[in-house]
Amino acid sequence: MSDVAVSMPGCHIFSGCGYPAPSISYFYFKPIFTIGSFQFTKPMLLAIVSAAIVLTFFFVAFRKPKIVPRGAQNLGEMGVLFVRDQILRPQLGKKGDKYLPFLVSIFFFVWIMNVFGIIPLVDFPPTSRIAFPAALAFIVWVTYITIGMKSKGPIGYFREMAIPQGAPWWILPLLAPIELFSNVLVRPFTLTIRLMANMLAGHLLLLVFGLASWYLFSASIGLLYATTSFVLTIILTGLEVLIQALQAFIFTTLTAFYIADATETAH
Amino acid sequence: MTGGGPGPGGAPPGGRDPSQPRPASFGWAILSYLIGGMVLYGFVGWLIGRWTGLPWLFPVGMLAGLASAIALVIFRVTKS
Repeated sequence: MSDVAVSMPGCHIFSGCGYPAPSISYFYFKPIFTIGSFQFTKPMLLAIVSAAIVLTFFFVAFRKPKIVPRGAQNLGEMGVLFVRDQILRPQLGKKGDKYLPFLVSIFFFVWIMNVFGIIPLVDFPPTSRIAFPAALAFIVWVTYITIGMKSKGPIGYFREMAIPQGAPWWILPLLAPIELFSNVLVRPFTLTIRLMANMLAGHLLLLVFGLASWYLFSASIGLLYATTSFVLTIILTGLEVLIQALQAFIFTTLTAFYIADATETAH
Repeated sequence: MTGGGPGPGGAPPGGRDPSQPRPASFGWAILSYLIGGMVLYGFVGWLIGRWTGLPWLFPVGMLAGLASAIALVIFRVTKS
């Protein structure tokens, strides 16, 4: 819990106390423990827990695979097939099936981290801290550049990344820098920012209405406001469930798209 | 989100079928062209503006970058 949240109780409307608007300080945590100058905080713990959940689930699900899947295996197969049929196949086709483990790991890791934002008592999506999406985007970046260089050779790959297909030669000096810049630098940045900003905004939105429900709660007309705010909190939580899944989906879809772009011979 | 792409499991073997429309994720790639064009040529414009003492070259560079990025997207989409 951050300091601001702890100082919340007792602050209500008409008691001469202003609305304690949630701020960026809600995204900073006191370290759980420190080793030298290294501070271990709640988001790190949540990221590790999320990785552990994904690992454990898929290990349990496919430990003793049966022809007719039951229980956890059924659920695990549904997850894997979803990633394969909705994300991988439309981008990469059948030959891309070797990237399935990578995409499945990314999808479920990101999704579980996002979902932590609405789990009671956990209440924080680690992906709203930029380091986590940035590290993931870096892994994706290294992956698609390596795959591109492997399938086309370093020079061939960079030539293709710099020279846009279909453009007439006289405009190339103007467009080639954009193509290269956008393929090499902008891609990992947009991947990071999109996920981080969505989770940060969603968490702030829930905080605004969650705190408002408590702040407006008093034996007066405020009760009506508080109810409205509370209902909105519930509706927005539903919206968040959607966005959390959607952002994990988009992150993975774009990863698949970048890999496809790196392996395709002609655009 | 994959609307327009081949249906679930119906993807052609050996890669994307060129006769099919691109998956919607190409739309996301367009975003990186637009940002890339504006940032890159905006920076070039800003540099030249600082060098020549003409600060309005910064927005001009951004607009030029945006225009080139749109041209780039059009070339990439209309090809084939």
